[in-house]
Amino acid sequence: MDLATIEKVVAFVGALIVFAFALVGLRGEWPKNGLDDNVTKVLLGLMAFGCVLVVLACFGVLPHGGGGA
Amino acid sequence: MATVAPGVPTGPYHAVLDHIHPEPTSFIRKYVFSIDAKVIGIQYMITGGIFFVIAGLLAEIIRTQLLSPHGAILSAATYNSVYSMHGSAMVWFVVIPLLTGAFGNFVMPMQIGARDVAFPWLNLVAFWIFPVAGVILFSSFLVGAPDAGWTEYPPISLQGPPGTNLWCIAVFLIGISSTMTGINFLVTIYKMRAPGMTFTRMPLFVWAQFATTPLLFIATTALGAALAALFIERVFGVPFYDPKRGGSPVLWQHMFWFYSHPAVYIMIIPGFGIISEVLPTFARKPIFGYKMIAFSSVAISLLSFSVWAHHMFTSGMVPWLQLPFMIITMVIAIPTGVKIFSWMATLWGGSINWKTPLLYATGFLITFTYGGLTGFFLAAVPLDYHEHGTYFVVAHFHYVLYGGSIMSLFAGIYYWWPKMTGRMYNEKLGQLQFWLTFIGFNATFTPMHWLGLLGMPRRVATYDPQFQFWNQFASISSYVMALGTVLFFYILFDSIRNGKKSGPNPWGARTLEWMVSSPPPYYNFKKIPAVLAAPYDFGNPLPYLGLEAAPGATEATPTSASHPVPTY
Amino acid sequence: MAVSVATHGHDAHDDHGGHDDDIIYQETRDMRLMGFVLFLVSDVVLFSSYIFAYIYLRNSIQPNWPPIVDGHQLPRLDTAFAAFNSVVLFGSGVTMHYALESWKHANKGRFNLFMWLTIFLGLDFLGGQGYEYAHAQIGGWSGNIFGASFFTLTGMHGIHVFLGVCFLFALWLQTQRGVYTEHRFFGLTAGTLYWHFVDVIWVVLFFLFYLW
Repeated sequence: MDLATIEKVVAFVGALIVFAFALVGLRGEWPKNGLDDNVTKVLLGLMAFGCVLVVLACFGVLPHGGGGA
Repeated sequence: MATVAPGVPTGPYHAVLDHIHPEPTSFIRKYVFSIDAKVIGIQYMITGGIFFVIAGLLAEIIRTQLLSPHGAILSAATYNSVYSMHGSAMVWFVVIPLLTGAFGNFVMPMQIGARDVAFPWLNLVAFWIFPVAGVILFSSFLVGAPDAGWTEYPPISLQGPPGTNLWCIAVFLIGISSTMTGINFLVTIYKMRAPGMTFTRMPLFVWAQFATTPLLFIATTALGAALAALFIERVFGVPFYDPKRGGSPVLWQHMFWFYSHPAVYIMIIPGFGIISEVLPTFARKPIFGYKMIAFSSVAISLLSFSVWAHHMFTSGMVPWLQLPFMIITMVIAIPTGVKIFSWMATLWGGSINWKTPLLYATGFLITFTYGGLTGFFLAAVPLDYHEHGTYFVVAHFHYVLYGGSIMSLFAGIYYWWPKMTGRMYNEKLGQLQFWLTFIGFNATFTPMHWLGLLGMPRRVATYDPQFQFWNQFASISSYVMALGTVLFFYILFDSIRNGKKSGPNPWGARTLEWMVSSPPPYYNFKKIPAVLAAPYDFGNPLPYLGLEAAPGATEATPTSASHPVPTY
Repeated sequence: MAVSVATHGHDAHDDHGGHDDDIIYQETRDMRLMGFVLFLVSDVVLFSSYIFAYIYLRNSIQPNWPPIVDGHQLPRLDTAFAAFNSVVLFGSGVTMHYALESWKHANKGRFNLFMWLTIFLGLDFLGGQGYEYAHAQIGGWSGNIFGASFFTLTGMHGIHVFLGVCFLFALWLQTQRGVYTEHRFFGLTAGTLYWHFVDVIWVVLFFLFYLW
């Protein structure tokens, strides 16, 4: 396994974990309604979306045509 | 805990005991590093006034240079620096700080029945950035002042003298100051209104400041980004704007105008607010179309984010984008027209009291409408091809900036001067000063429309002899304006030395700042009043409950309690 | 979040009971929260401006991206490593969220654990950025428009991360000094929001520079 593959595997596993915890955190935030809570909902959601992007990158879906060293 | 009288609506949110800090006694903390919004407002006014004089002198140098077609006094290179610095100083160091920092700080907290702004320390920092930035800006004359106009388009600004770096730093700093002020004011207006002061009971000046805040903390940041990029390109050679290295000069124009078009509205919406206060007071009539005036400020503010590229019709922008930008620009004329007609309807049938603030307000109506109409011409793509980069543009933006912003500033200073100092100014001299300024202004800038249509380009140190007559006419008229400005400062000094005591409410106005003594006490309101209605119903009883006593008797003594709660 | 206390004519001389204290704290806290969120909005505009610049410059030389400099094509950036580094930063965002939650539930031990995990992951990300900077073969900061936009945007983001780490460390010190209580912890709220904001900016930058 070359370095890039190791990085991708670690990133993939990490992304799954982070995604799961982000969703759990988001669920905890959901009933709250303060300004800080609402902003946190948006930001946690975007972080979860970031994890999706990482997964896509790990499988080479993005960027088009592979990429990466 | 006191309870509210029956029938008094409570505010959506209000600071109960906000900012209870003892009045400082040392000179430094009282007048220099004060956290009192009123003192900071006056500090802004003095600093802005000094910069106004410097930038005004630069303007007179420009006009003197143009007395002769061959250039009367300056070399072409120096001339470039002079007009660049005139524009930069007037926009960022005179009009914006005076309309937001000065009047916003002095008037707005009192008008919403607050004791101070939301973040007094932030206010202090925001103010002190301003003179420092001003000194940096003007010190660029020592190393070679920027010479690409106040817009500093690359690639010329990339090749400009070293002072351009100082220009970047100065404008960046003043941008930070604006951002702080914008955030501060928005939170103040949103959170600190007196009980009962719903949004539709706010004075229109507060509405105007409210509509300006998003421009301050959103648009200004874009300018900061553009300036930082220009700075690192000049200093570290990082390619953003240099076309030879793959950059794009048009990129600067996008980023710059994304700020600077909203900045035009930063420079006029608070002026609208001042006019909306002055007109009903001196017409002794409720303002016509309160909600329409209030909402049109917000509409202008929002629309102003989507019109910036009308400055760039001739810059090689994508052609299909020109039409939407032209249309949205013209759409802004609708909320502006709503204001103009509401103001005229406010005057209609009023019992008009021709004092200097009202003279300036009506002068504003005339000159600003005129400037707005020429703006409408410039927004039309085909006309813009002809007029872009000519004196027509110079005439247009001086009509909106001097005839709009500065006229409203004069109106505001005359109007609130008794509140700031407790003294009246000399009314006869004030009216004379108005006529000098108004006639001098129109005679200076009206001929520039004709010069521009005839094809005289802006930003030139010499010009074709056929334009000489109107240039000389404009230059000599500008000396009349200068005389008016000198008289203005004389009036202020005279008022401080010899002015009659004004009492708390010399104009019989109805907004909250006139309900406290002049000059106002440190706390503004010993008791925060409750508000029952919008302030413009002349003829009805005042819509306030819980004011300490009759106007004039209010005396808020400093409390010994410092901020009692750790606010973490 | 609104405090529905109806007062008018409240005298500045009143002495302040515990109840008043809570009201003042709550109102001051809400003002500062709003101000802080507006500051973040303003910061978003700062990043958006450079992102606009990047997209604008990139579009001006489509379809050759990365650009061709002196006759040879610049390589793409290292997506695999960036994916790894991104997970580090997103992870730190989630740990920060749980740190704040632990504080709200008065669980000091868990708070300390998550706080240090966050700071550690933040530093790890910064180290990763250093590695990335050392290995990116795109001509340096001042070489071409790719380098200019990449290093300016990620550098600005890196400065934000660095300031965020300092911020979090200062907050942790304050918690040790007993500045915050179970009910009054606005600094921690602000720190968390700031840290989340920095993470979310990276989501956008990660997409723009590595996946697009």
